[in-house]
Amino acid sequence: MLETFTPAVCGSRKRQMLAQVVFAAAAVATSAALGLALGLAGGLLGARHAVLAAAALALVAAAREAGLLRFPLPQARRQVPESWRFELPLPVWAGGYGAGLGAGFFTFQPVSTFWVACAGALALGRPLAAAVCLSLYGAGRAAMIVWPRRRADDATAAVERLATRRGALLRANVVALVACAVLLAVAPSASAGLVARPGFDPSVSARTIAFSTQAGEVVVRPPSGAGAVFPNASQPALSGEYLAYVDGQGIRVVRWRNGSQVARIANPSASRPALDWPNLAFVYRDPSRKRLIVRNLSTGRTRRPAKVSLSADLGRPSLRDGRLAWHVVTRRWSGIYVRTLATRGVRTIARTRIGRLTNPSVCRRRVIWVDERSGVTRLRAGSVRSRRSRVLTSVRSRSVSYWTTSLSTRRAYLTRWSLGSGAAEIHSRRV
Amino acid sequence: MRPPERPPSTFDRQAEKLSAKLAESTTRTSFLGRLGAAALAIAGGSVVAAAVKPDDADAFHLCGHIWTTGSCPSPYPPLARIDRKGYPLHPRSGRPIDNLGRLVDSSGYALDGNGNRLRGPDGKVVARAPRTRICEDWTREVKGLKDLRVQGSWFRCCGGQIRKLVDCCSFSRRRINGDASLTGYCWRGRRVYCVMYYDTGLPC
Repeated sequence: MLETFTPAVCGSRKRQMLAQVVFAAAAVATSAALGLALGLAGGLLGARHAVLAAAALALVAAAREAGLLRFPLPQARRQVPESWRFELPLPVWAGGYGAGLGAGFFTFQPVSTFWVACAGALALGRPLAAAVCLSLYGAGRAAMIVWPRRRADDATAAVERLATRRGALLRANVVALVACAVLLAVAPSASAGLVARPGFDPSVSARTIAFSTQAGEVVVRPPSGAGAVFPNASQPALSGEYLAYVDGQGIRVVRWRNGSQVARIANPSASRPALDWPNLAFVYRDPSRKRLIVRNLSTGRTRRPAKVSLSADLGRPSLRDGRLAWHVVTRRWSGIYVRTLATRGVRTIARTRIGRLTNPSVCRRRVIWVDERSGVTRLRAGSVRSRRSRVLTSVRSRSVSYWTTSLSTRRAYLTRWSLGSGAAEIHSRRV
Repeated sequence: MRPPERPPSTFDRQAEKLSAKLAESTTRTSFLGRLGAAALAIAGGSVVAAAVKPDDADAFHLCGHIWTTGSCPSPYPPLARIDRKGYPLHPRSGRPIDNLGRLVDSSGYALDGNGNRLRGPDGKVVARAPRTRICEDWTREVKGLKDLRVQGSWFRCCGGQIRKLVDCCSFSRRRINGDASLTGYCWRGRRVYCVMYYDTGLPC
C-alpha cells in the first residue's frame, strides 16, 4: 500500500495527497461502521459475559503471537484489486482500497489483534463507543501509508525499513494483547461494582448511599468521613443531609449526620418513603385503598398523585428533580409511571401483562426500573419522555432476581437477591 | 357426517356435544365416553371429555398434537400448559404458576421451596405478580395480535390420561411458526395461531 500511494502512481504530488486523504477517510469510516455494527450486536445480545470471553481471546491471541500456539486466522489472503488503479478514477480506487483495508476482513491478517479488537467491540455493547475504538484501526491503516515515508521519498526503502522492525513489532503486539486481556478481565468488576454485602433498598444522594440491612438497621455511608447507623429502621430515602426511614411508628426524617429529627409522619400505615427535600413521598394504606402521597415538609402542602385498590401493589416511589416515579402491580398487569409534580402530567413509561415491572428510580430525565419475566430479570433504563428503554444489566435465573433500585446522575444502584436464601447485596452500574 | 355447530362462546359446549355424539355412536366405546364425561363433570366443572382411543397419541412437539402449529408463549416455553380457564400451569407438576414461572398458592402469592409464601430481603411477603391467560394475554402481548380467542379443542390419550389440546385462534393468516396458518378447530374466519394443552388427569 505504501508503494501504491506515490506521486508516480497517482500522477502528481497533489493527487497523491488527495488519494491518501480519501484512503484515510474511507479506512476510518469503514472501521467505525464495523465497530458500530459490533457494538450494536453486542448490546442486543446482552454481551455482559462476552467481556470475559474477549479477555480469554486476547490471551489466546497473545500466546499465538508469542509462538506458543499455532492456529490459522480467518482471513482473505488477497491483495487489493490492482486493476482498479487503471480502470477507476483516483478518488474511487483510493476510497475502495481504504474501505477494503478498513473493514479488515478482505485482506491478509499478519497478526490476530484485529479479531481481539472485534471481540472487544462486541463485548462493549455500545455502538458509538465501539465505533470510536475500532475507527482507530482504520486510522492505523491510514497512518501506514504516510508515516513510514516521513524521512524519505523512496517508498521501497521505507517498506524495507519497516520489515527490519518486524520482530520488535510482534513482541510489542504480544505485550499489548496481554495488557488487553488484563483490562478486559477487570472491566466487569470495575463497571458493575459491589457496593454493600449484605444490603438492600439503596438510596443515593450525591455520592452518599444509604441502605437497609437484614439486621434491621439503616446504614448511611458517605464517600469520606464517618457514616451513621440507625437501629430499628428500614426503607431509607436520602436527600442531601436529610434521611427518611420507616420505624415502628411511621416515617421519621432526620439530619443523618447528627440524628436530629426534622419531621415525622406518625402513622404506622405510612411506609416506603422517597425524599427530595423538602418534598416527601410515601405510600399510605387506609381501609379501602393504598395511596401515594407527596407532602411538602416545609409548607405542609399535600398531593395525592395515585391510588390503587388494596389487592394491588403500589410500589416504593422515587422522588427527584420535581419528578415522582412509582410502580403498580395488579393480578392482570404492571406498569411504571412518572409524574412531573409541577405540571401534574403523568406518563406511562412501561406497561405489561406478562411480566412484573417494579421499583423505578428517577434522576433528571432518566428512569430505571426492574423488569422481571419468567427466567430472566433485567434492569432497564429509559427516558421520562419516551417509552424506549435499554437493558443495563440482566440475570438469567429463577433463583436470583433484582429488588429495589436507586439512581444518581452517573450510576444505577440495584439490589440483587437470592430467592432461596433471601440474601441480598447492592451493586452499581454505570448508566 | 355434518360437523356439529360450533357455538360462538366457550369450547366447553362444543366438547360436550362431541362427546355426546361419540358416546352414542355404536362404533365408539360409549362406556369410556360416559365415564369420562361424568368424572370431568365432577372434577373439572364444565369440561366434558370426548371418548378417545386408549393408546397414546402421536405427537408433533407435544403428545397429542398431530399437526405442526407451535405452542403459545408461556412462562415455560416451549410448553404451554394451562388450567381449564387458560391460566398457566407448571408443565411438569401441573400446579398453578404466576407469569414469572413461580409456584403460587390459591391467593396468587409466590411460594418458596418449602411451600411457604416467598419473602423478600426485608422479610416481608413478596407482592403478587400478574397471572394472565396464555392465549388472550401472553400471546397478545408477545406477538402483538389483539383478536386472539380460545376456540377449538380436541382430546387425546397421553401418558395414560386424557389431554385436551386447545387452539388459540386469530384472524391472522400467519401462525406462530411464521408460515401460513391452518383452520384447525377455529371458526368464524379465525385460524390456529398457536396451541396449548390441559391435562385432565382422567385415565385412558
